Amino acid sequence: MRRRDLMLGLPGLTGILDAQARPGFQLSDVTRAAGIAFKHNSGAYGKKYLPETMGPGCAFLDYDGDGWQDILIVNSMDWPGHKRQRSTLKLYRNNRNGTFTDVTRAAGLDVEMYGLGVAVGDYNNDGWPDIFITCVGQSRLFQNTGKGTFVDVTAKAGLTGHEGFSISAMWVDYDRDGHLDLFVTNYVRWTEQSDVFCSFDGKLKSYCTPEAYRGATCWLFRNKGDGTFQDVTARAGLLDTSSKSLGVALLDFDNDGWPDLFVANDTQPNKLYRNQRNGTFTEVAVRAGLAFSEDGRARAGMGVDVADLENSGLATIVVTNFDNEMLGLYRGTKSGAFIDLAPKSGMGKATRRSLGFGCFFFDADMDGQLDLLVANGHIDESISRARHEVTYAQSPHLFLNEGGSFRDVASQMGPGFLAPKVARGAAFGDFDNDGDLDVLITTNAGPAYLFRNDLMNGNRSVRLRLVGTKSNRDAIGAIVKFETAGLSGARTVKSGSSYLSQSELPVTIGLGRRDVLERVTILWPSGRTEEHRGLKAGQRYQVVEGKGISS
Amino acid sequence: MPARTPTVIQLLGLAVTLAAVVAYSLFTLVQLDGLKRLGSDIVDRNRRDSLQLIRIQNDLSQIGLAMRDITEGAVPYPMESFKPEFDRIKGDLEDALAVEARLMPSGQTTAQRSMLQGAFTRFWNETAQLWALAGEGKTNDAKTLIRTRLEAERATMTTVISRLLMQNNEAEAAAVQEIQLIYGKVERNLYLFFAAVLAAIMITGGLVIRHDRRMFARVSHLSEQRKELAGKVITVQEDVFRTLARELHDEFGQVLTALGMMLLRVEKKMPDPSAERDDLREVREIANQTLERVRGMSQMLHPPVLDDYGLEKSIEWYLRQFQKQTGVHVHYEKAGVGPWIGEKVAIHVYRILQEGLNNVVRHAKTPDAWVRVRYEQARMEMEIEDHGPGLPAERRTGGIGMIGMRERAELLGGHIEFERPVDGGTRVKLSVPLPAGEKA
Repeated sequence: MRRRDLMLGLPGLTGILDAQARPGFQLSDVTRAAGIAFKHNSGAYGKKYLPETMGPGCAFLDYDGDGWQDILIVNSMDWPGHKRQRSTLKLYRNNRNGTFTDVTRAAGLDVEMYGLGVAVGDYNNDGWPDIFITCVGQSRLFQNTGKGTFVDVTAKAGLTGHEGFSISAMWVDYDRDGHLDLFVTNYVRWTEQSDVFCSFDGKLKSYCTPEAYRGATCWLFRNKGDGTFQDVTARAGLLDTSSKSLGVALLDFDNDGWPDLFVANDTQPNKLYRNQRNGTFTEVAVRAGLAFSEDGRARAGMGVDVADLENSGLATIVVTNFDNEMLGLYRGTKSGAFIDLAPKSGMGKATRRSLGFGCFFFDADMDGQLDLLVANGHIDESISRARHEVTYAQSPHLFLNEGGSFRDVASQMGPGFLAPKVARGAAFGDFDNDGDLDVLITTNAGPAYLFRNDLMNGNRSVRLRLVGTKSNRDAIGAIVKFETAGLSGARTVKSGSSYLSQSELPVTIGLGRRDVLERVTILWPSGRTEEHRGLKAGQRYQVVEGKGISS
Repeated sequence: MPARTPTVIQLLGLAVTLAAVVAYSLFTLVQLDGLKRLGSDIVDRNRRDSLQLIRIQNDLSQIGLAMRDITEGAVPYPMESFKPEFDRIKGDLEDALAVEARLMPSGQTTAQRSMLQGAFTRFWNETAQLWALAGEGKTNDAKTLIRTRLEAERATMTTVISRLLMQNNEAEAAAVQEIQLIYGKVERNLYLFFAAVLAAIMITGGLVIRHDRRMFARVSHLSEQRKELAGKVITVQEDVFRTLARELHDEFGQVLTALGMMLLRVEKKMPDPSAERDDLREVREIANQTLERVRGMSQMLHPPVLDDYGLEKSIEWYLRQFQKQTGVHVHYEKAGVGPWIGEKVAIHVYRILQEGLNNVVRHAKTPDAWVRVRYEQARMEMEIEDHGPGLPAERRTGGIGMIGMRERAELLGGHIEFERPVDGGTRVKLSVPLPAGEKA
């Protein structure tokens, strides 16, 4: 009798335990239902050219200004002389009912290019987000006309003459003149002509590691405010021909109000460029402890994101790395040096076999604490043959922030999310305007996935769209500090971050079950500070610099 | 002979063992400390130094690549654009060199250091010249400077750094070997320590055991002596008793018998009745009574029945006498057939029976007593039991009479037990072997 009681009691008990461990939300694969039918064309035809393994990126943007996030997915193309199909990037307009319509052609974006990444920013402050696509060869700038179409203004903007192997790009107003400048990372000096034969077995060609090629400098283009850009790479002290850069993130690690830059480099030391407030930068990554891993090696930095995890004003930087390297979770300290927490935390162990690319901090469960998503996927299709524990397609990680410690809950996100992928880009945005953050993940030579966040824990949020007046119109670089009963934090409006991708610009603040967000302080890039009080959970607000808040 | 206690030896052994443990622990600590020092001094320092050297090497190779970019004109930026990169690398190099100099393992020579320092200084002086030329637009002169001078200085630094890295590797290998040696030494000493402790424990243990054995031998020897002595006392006593009994019986008995007969003869010669005849009869009766008493005494001292009829009959005779004298009813049970038991054994069994029954009369004061005798092949057992109040607790083992009984039993090589039967009272259980020679 007693034994039967015990056995009857067990399922109940495990049920309770499950409920406690359950994250309270799921990421449901709604790609097909939403009408996102994308396939990446890497152009691979057997020559194993290095760029084939790199793309593509993606973005959430509201290109038509209707308050609903649209989707852009970058595409590459066939190599010259090996033309089989036509492939272009895809722009999907949000139908405001959970579905999207492919408007690429109508928007004038069905242009073939070997695209890899995307950065979204209103560089001409006209209220319409413009698009910069990084490419192998010449990258492109598309200006949003405000009428649902884009115009290629690369040449007009003075951006031609810069051919490279460009990866992640970022809009940032580094000189705080109210005009968004453009930072572009370059990987290595590769052209079809300079391609090197690399092989594991001496016979068959395989994809080279970046060691085979010489590094390439990143570029900084200053926005002159008249629709044209000027290459200030050298003048700003950013010329660095040794770096092999993949990711870039905006941060203000010294809290001086001037945007600093972090660049993740593959097999080369990472770079931290401190803004000297005079148009130049100094590189301080070695001193800050960010250049190398804790054991002094330069790792294969891919994606990157920065967040102020505990509202301490100290930045935490995540850098995804190669398999067997684990990701870097660099926590800032008051001394200015960063410490990599990953080796001593569960996160390091969890990411040991993963080759991470796209990554971002976001509040997945709207409890007010930033969680971390990492998209994984290997470079080499045959990696399992060489190293049995590492696979080509890999599951993403979703580390839930549980008051300072992180727990990987990817396995509880639903089968679509957990399914192994050869992921590259990753971005977040609230496409269904339900107050939680949905996720977009791209895969190499494969589809893009849209995961709808199904929040079941009853948490709510406040969403803020910032409009700069003196600052750049997108308010990129603005810091939103918030404080309410038992909760405080900080979010940054940013371009760049992750890998090849850009998340939505509106800021989402999870409130848990709270009804009111008591106080929000906005530090505008212009230096202006504003405070707003009594924001209601579940509401969307627009804050115009110097003009107040409206819902 | 004064008794020596083993405590001193034991304490000494303990002290020796403890001292060995302490000494070995200290030794191990010292060795471990040495290992730690060696580890941090040479291995860790070497590794950290190597990391710095690799960092320097990396910086130098980056400078090399940058210089190649400049001379090849591979980057569409003016030559001066490379200055921040050079400055950054210089800053990092200076930092790395400073850290490296602090760590500098003992193997490095000042010659190497000054060579490195010289090349470093010359390189950056010439770099300053490079930027000056670049600023004046003398691009070709600048490129020549890179090819002829800067490359050479960079190569010098690279060579020194490579050499230092190699030295570090060699020093590290040597340190690892030394560490192995120390480990070996510690291991050897560990065995030695175990052997020493084992020896100390064995010696101490051996001494203690030897002492214990001596003590035990002495004790058993004393016990033997005491037993022998007690046996002798008893034997002597019995001899005296027997002699006395014989003397009394033979000498006094005959004298008194003769006296009685002579008195009878004289009495018959006297007129009857007469006062003389009455007096003589009275004297004769006194003589007869005395004779009886002498005989009784003789029998008590050493019952002749024991010598004439053996133990079995003597017991029966004695029990009859006892019942008659004390009025205690003795329930006698006998099992087996009693062999001839010689006087040497019989007297002691007889005495134990006497003492046992006397105790019944003296202490139990009960109307009944039980005596059970069992004869076996080479052993006889006897039980004397009463159901009186029993022995007081403190007298279970003590009491002169009981000591006597025990000593007689031991003298015979047997044993005696004093028990309390389930019905209460006392039971004396005697068990003695019957020596083969004693059999008839």
